[in-house]
Amino acid sequence: MSDEVIGKWELSRRRVLASTAGLGLLGSAGRAFGQSAGPWSQAPKSKVDRLNFVVWTYGDIYTRIAKQFEADWGVKVDSTISSFNDHPTKLTTMFAAGEKIDVSQSSPFSFPNFVNQGLVEPIDSLPGAADYIKDFTPFTKQVATVNGKTMGLPYFSAVWVWNYYADMLEKLKIDKPFATYDEFIEHCMKAKKDGVSRYPVLWVAGVGLEQLPGTWYQMTWNRGGTFFDKQGNHMLGAGSVARETLKWWANTFEKGLDISDPESLKVQFTTSAKAFGAGKNLYRGPNHHYGLNVVNDPAQSPIAGKVKVHGSPGDGKTIGVTHVYFLTSATRDKEWGWKLLQYLGGKTKDGNYTQAISLAKDAMLGSGYTSVMNSDAVKQGWAPWGDVPAILKIWDQAAYIGEVCSSVYQPWHFPWTDQLNIEVQKCLTGQITADQCCDNLIKGIADAKRKV
Amino acid sequence: MSAGSFAFFMNLPTLFFLGLVLAYPVIYAGYLSVHQVGLAQLRRGVFAFNGWDNYSRVLEDPLFWIAIKNTSIFTAITVGSEVVLAVLIALLLNQTGIWTSRITRFLILLPYAIPPIANGLIWSFLYSFQFGFLNRILFSLGLIDDPINWAGNPDTALYAVTVPYIWRTLPFAIILVHAALQGIPRELYEAAAVDGARAWHRFWHITLPLLRPIIAIILVLRTAFAFAVFEEILAITQGGPGDATWVAAWYSYKITFSPPNNFGMGSASAFILTLMIGLIALVYMRMVYRRVTL
Repeated sequence: MSDEVIGKWELSRRRVLASTAGLGLLGSAGRAFGQSAGPWSQAPKSKVDRLNFVVWTYGDIYTRIAKQFEADWGVKVDSTISSFNDHPTKLTTMFAAGEKIDVSQSSPFSFPNFVNQGLVEPIDSLPGAADYIKDFTPFTKQVATVNGKTMGLPYFSAVWVWNYYADMLEKLKIDKPFATYDEFIEHCMKAKKDGVSRYPVLWVAGVGLEQLPGTWYQMTWNRGGTFFDKQGNHMLGAGSVARETLKWWANTFEKGLDISDPESLKVQFTTSAKAFGAGKNLYRGPNHHYGLNVVNDPAQSPIAGKVKVHGSPGDGKTIGVTHVYFLTSATRDKEWGWKLLQYLGGKTKDGNYTQAISLAKDAMLGSGYTSVMNSDAVKQGWAPWGDVPAILKIWDQAAYIGEVCSSVYQPWHFPWTDQLNIEVQKCLTGQITADQCCDNLIKGIADAKRKV
Repeated sequence: MSAGSFAFFMNLPTLFFLGLVLAYPVIYAGYLSVHQVGLAQLRRGVFAFNGWDNYSRVLEDPLFWIAIKNTSIFTAITVGSEVVLAVLIALLLNQTGIWTSRITRFLILLPYAIPPIANGLIWSFLYSFQFGFLNRILFSLGLIDDPINWAGNPDTALYAVTVPYIWRTLPFAIILVHAALQGIPRELYEAAAVDGARAWHRFWHITLPLLRPIIAIILVLRTAFAFAVFEEILAITQGGPGDATWVAAWYSYKITFSPPNNFGMGSASAFILTLMIGLIALVYMRMVYRRVTL
């Protein structure tokens, strides 16, 4: 009996394998067919001797993709790479100087400005663009669509999460991370009182477009607030959620409970992950999920493997963001520029989302494409650094940052953010109160609009 | 050809290149400062004239005045310290009897060879709150119990960035003062010694008056450079925390090169800064660079 069953199973297994192999071949053939038919695999009719992109640094991804482009199409790709914070300056300076720039990238915060200043070329009518747009995640649609036109392809997506140092929590005899903000304070105070951590929480409160502002946006959104209503009126007045959140946040710093690491005011996303890796803080957050690939990387962090991901209090609402690549209006050749843009933010010649998949596997970055987010590239690629189902659950609870702070769609958001960074840091260091800070920011909206 | 004409022709290439790399950008920035210039306009090369609008917007911006205040404090501290330290160190270097002065003469130049941005980054690591060498040394010496947030505290940040700046630029002042010291005739000191003048009197009545011209030059040059401090701010504080280290050059940079890229307003702010430095230089010259009577 059992042999018979085994025999049947063997048979069926063989059949399954055979069928799978057959399907695989068919699939490959189909893909090969797709390759030859897909617009990503066809060479533009025009000729160029070189192309270039202006981007901010991230490992060696740009060297690799430039080499692949050159190998596939025989066109050399020059790259201009700067830091994230210096990128807008680099790009705009090159643009102003009349240099040729084929492809560049943008955070969602600079993007409306770039569009407004005529730096970005719409891509709707370009071959294959419609297929990409269909595959965009909701975040990507919100960022890439400006005035009804599609202006870019996604670079990566991220959601804001909390991290905690599991060993420290265990040492404190606390069985699970905080579920409310009161609990958060309790845990931090206990960690400080017990001498387990002098500064239990490390925030990302360094000056930037989404570093310090992102932390405030996230906690405000999680508590049910926004910065602007649907009509564009500010929501920073007395009693507003944003204002109360800032009061609470400022109270965690030196002049209040003194549980916040003073380094918070300097660190950016990756530097905060590296600092957290020293094992001196209990909590880190809320900020980009992919910091886990630093704190849980044995080569970079002494506490690798001991940092866990954690959602936000209450209903777990959080925020997310997508950064984009775009074709510039200063391109030397629109068709070839589009081809290069696809290598960075779309498909390579073989019809794969090569860059998005390698970003997920190598850097734990999320994708702006639904098909990539649902693929094994994410599920398997992220696994070495964190609890993938937990992160994806948080992902499902994330809203695009523009819903929290709708000014990101406005060109004046950038100068206003400059002021926001200044005022909030002054508030966190006790130079002004949260009320003064918010009042100044309300006044600052009009000033920022005048600067555009 | 007369000697004067020959000299004029020999200087023409220099004048041409100086005009090209110095005068043209300055004049062009002046032109931009009275026009509405964003990114798109700059690329097209077509600008709308807007008179003094950029200047009035800069002068009405509270952040500009905060930047000027911070710059003035920064300049006063750095230039004052540089002059005093340069004179003291140059006097030591000038002591030919001290063998270490020869080594010191070489070592003193090292900070000047370090690129400003690298200097800023080095000090950024030194100042790091939890992991910086400065706090570690002070802690090891028992001078502090808790780390000090040098660059992250609004009360100390501006002073914190003055130190790396002084460290980097001091050698320049030392070299100038040292060179001037070597040019003072020894007979003056010998005559004073014969008259019974003590060291302090010799310094006060001979050395210092004869150093005045070089001190004037140091004051003018260092003030101009300190007013334009940028790299240390970029590397260490980026203007923060809050606006504690927003200085004038940082203001011009942010206005110009951050979206919405107001090149006109940025140029106007730079011109206002130039005017201020020019006025200060005039005051210096009147106060310090006067005829020396022994």
